[in-house]
Amino acid sequence: MAAPSPDITSLVHDPIDRDTLAAHVRGNEDGAIVIFDGFVRDHSKNRRTLYLEYEAYEPMALAKMQEIAAHLHNQFPIHRVAMVHRLGRLEIGETSVYIAVSAPHRAAAFDACRYAIDTLKRTVPIWKKEYFEDGSVWADGELPTVPSATSAVKPAS
Amino acid sequence: MPSVSQSIRVKVLFFGRLKEIAGRAYESIDLPADANIESLFTHYANRHPELQQYRSSLVASCNQEFAPWNTVLHAGDEVAFLPPVSGG
Repeated sequence: MAAPSPDITSLVHDPIDRDTLAAHVRGNEDGAIVIFDGFVRDHSKNRRTLYLEYEAYEPMALAKMQEIAAHLHNQFPIHRVAMVHRLGRLEIGETSVYIAVSAPHRAAAFDACRYAIDTLKRTVPIWKKEYFEDGSVWADGELPTVPSATSAVKPAS
Repeated sequence: MPSVSQSIRVKVLFFGRLKEIAGRAYESIDLPADANIESLFTHYANRHPELQQYRSSLVASCNQEFAPWNTVLHAGDEVAFLPPVSGG
């Protein structure tokens, strides 16, 4: 299915160019842009974080991000979406995920942006490993919902 | 008549801590023609017993779509074992 507007969805290994993404979604027909800028916190559960490493099942992650963007257009009266996740090693304060949504009116932009980050965190196959002074751990995550087993049964012929 | 000993080759990918336990990011493997995702995981859990404890806290995908454990596999399928996701 072709995207109804020229959205941006991508996985990158270099710093995210936030200004370019915000400018990309901004149109004269819009009245608002809502941005989610997720960046690396310096602590996790009372431990000092040194840095994070992100990895992804890249083709599937990109497909899931594109599904989210398409869903946003179906659910909310918005204009454009930019959704970028960075992979590899990220230092404290660096942006790991950036989502910008433009819309004629603010309510749709807020709702769509919130839906996008919540859904990304629940369904897109990306993982982060947290590095501390005394070791590293894979971050607690969310288990995606899988279609029920019955739906996979081959139809009776 | 098809031979009962036919096998299929699938590609298997591991991510996160599963990759560390399996000691590899991916491999191609030959399976019995009636293999499903559950039997494929059992194969790896037998090879790497530490994997078994994660059986209830991971999901699988087949050809880049989340897939139930009873999904029957076909030659050329790409299966991945995915820990709880933690992007963002």
